Amino acid sequence: MEGTITIVQEGRFQLSDDRGVSHQFVLDRVALVETEQLRPLQSRQARVRVKYTDASGLISLIAHRIELLEPKPSDPEPLEPVGS
Amino acid sequence: MNVHPRARDYTQSSLGEMIPNESELTAGVKIEPGKQYGFFTDTTVCIGCKACEVACKEWNNLPADNVGLTGHSYDNTGALSANTWRHVNFIEQSGGGGGGASVRDNEQNAFQSGWLMMSDVCKHCHHAPCLEACPTGALFKTEFDTVVVQQDICNGCGYCVPACPFGVVDVSKADGKAHKCTLCYDRLKGGLEPACAKSCPTDSIQFGELSELQARAKTRVEQLHARGVHTAYTYGTPDSPGATGDMQYLNAFFLLTDRPEAYNLPAAPTRPSNRIAPALTAGLATLAGLAVAAVALLAASGEERRHGR
Repeated sequence: MEGTITIVQEGRFQLSDDRGVSHQFVLDRVALVETEQLRPLQSRQARVRVKYTDASGLISLIAHRIELLEPKPSDPEPLEPVGS
Repeated sequence: MNVHPRARDYTQSSLGEMIPNESELTAGVKIEPGKQYGFFTDTTVCIGCKACEVACKEWNNLPADNVGLTGHSYDNTGALSANTWRHVNFIEQSGGGGGGASVRDNEQNAFQSGWLMMSDVCKHCHHAPCLEACPTGALFKTEFDTVVVQQDICNGCGYCVPACPFGVVDVSKADGKAHKCTLCYDRLKGGLEPACAKSCPTDSIQFGELSELQARAKTRVEQLHARGVHTAYTYGTPDSPGATGDMQYLNAFFLLTDRPEAYNLPAAPTRPSNRIAPALTAGLATLAGLAVAAVALLAASGEERRHGR
């Protein structure tokens, strides 16, 4: 799934896909990304591809890998972080 | 209702920026590092709306779990877990609370007297057993005297889970790390009242400075006693149930009207670390006793062999 990370809390994040639909993810225990790497991705509004599987017993997806993508030409400029 | 004078500065519907020290307007308290903060949950005014559960899930981006019906009253959340940091207990009293009708009977006592509702949460103990058990230092006391798990340090060993006398901390099967209420640590740093307290429509969950909350709870208990509710007491304030076993006090404490066990709370929680010394002493004493017995037996058998018996 491809899109932009819009919300980050600890190892949980929300991805807004190209249709504007939000999906909730939890980082897998052996994910190829650390929790502290999520927030910079959110503040940069970077375009990412998430490899995931369904979670059992949770309304969430388990993220195994996050890859950084090139921004689309139509993507808006990233917002300045609050307080900068 | 008292409105803070600063509220007049923000009358527009949408704001261009955050309100500085917003908690002053919503909870009447300015959040400053170095002071003690907590929750006072007055169960006598809880209506079981679960707004706190929803607000907690929304702010902390927590996924829904336990999807389905539990069959336990109106409670489909079940219990506190790695993904549920607020849980509203629904307790149906079989005797209507005062020996009257049960909530399942056709005839009801007035004012939902057969129901007990309580929004349970991490107690942010003064002497937090989870923090004492954590071998990595992932659990720590914040500048607001609350207890938080640092996710980048937690190794998922799970020692904190059995250490918590309230059964609050849980290790997530998804990410393998311990999770619990942070008392909205990120909101406190931004001068915001915790999401659950802000969303509570009856002010059953009150956020504030601990000393102020304890005084408020004492007054409320006196008020309830004066109104004839003699069963009202606080759980988790100094020298009260919940503050037993060297716990001293809980930063998130409750006003209850029935036994703690009725609310699924331990009557006398203790610090597991206090049991280490007696347990170690008992273990060493057993080892010493066994060693003495073994030496005595060996000496006796050696004596027998020497006498050629």
